Amino acid sequence: MTVKACTKCHRIMNEDRCTMCDLPSSTNWSGLLIIIDPEKSAIAKELNITLPGEYALRVR
Amino acid sequence: MEDSDNLIYAIRTLVGQEKNVAQMIARNVKNSGIEVNSILVPETLRGYILVESSSKLDMQNPALKVPNIRGAVEGMITFEEIKTFLKPEPILASIQKGSIVELISGPFKGEKAKVVRIDESREEVVLELIEAAVPIPVTVKGDQIRIIQKEAD
Repeated sequence: MTVKACTKCHRIMNEDRCTMCDLPSSTNWSGLLIIIDPEKSAIAKELNITLPGEYALRVR
Repeated sequence: MEDSDNLIYAIRTLVGQEKNVAQMIARNVKNSGIEVNSILVPETLRGYILVESSSKLDMQNPALKVPNIRGAVEGMITFEEIKTFLKPEPILASIQKGSIVELISGPFKGEKAKVVRIDESREEVVLELIEAAVPIPVTVKGDQIRIIQKEAD
């Protein structure tokens, strides 16, 4: 099972297509960002992330 | 606003275990009630993870008792300092025409090559192997090379 990341929203998933963006996900990603509380996190605000979860920093 | 309340701590981990540690902390934090807002694992920073919290992190908290942690770094990091990790510059930005690079994966792994052309839109570079008797152009992805010498002599 390869972990993939959506090329648009950078969300990390196992599916071949991002369920939210409906775009193919990529196995070529690096860097990990776990957002637990998007309301309070300054990092989430900077990257315009509104949903908690795991994100990649760079996706190709 | 709230941004000033957010403190960023660096936690030392075993090299190679950064992602596992981050995922374990994330799982523990949800049930323990300590205020961790996000965890950042920059790929360029080996052996460390950055934890964003609105209160002071207590390393004695059972939620932070995770294997492979090697302790916390004293002091805090400002948000400005971690901005560079959030928006990584494209790999090809540091590579110029004429640079000497080493291939780090693929059939020519370990070979040194000279950059002939850069295709920024596709993140590809055209290389010419230095040690080859006949110069053959090889096209590789930007993440398959490591820069050795920035400019040509």
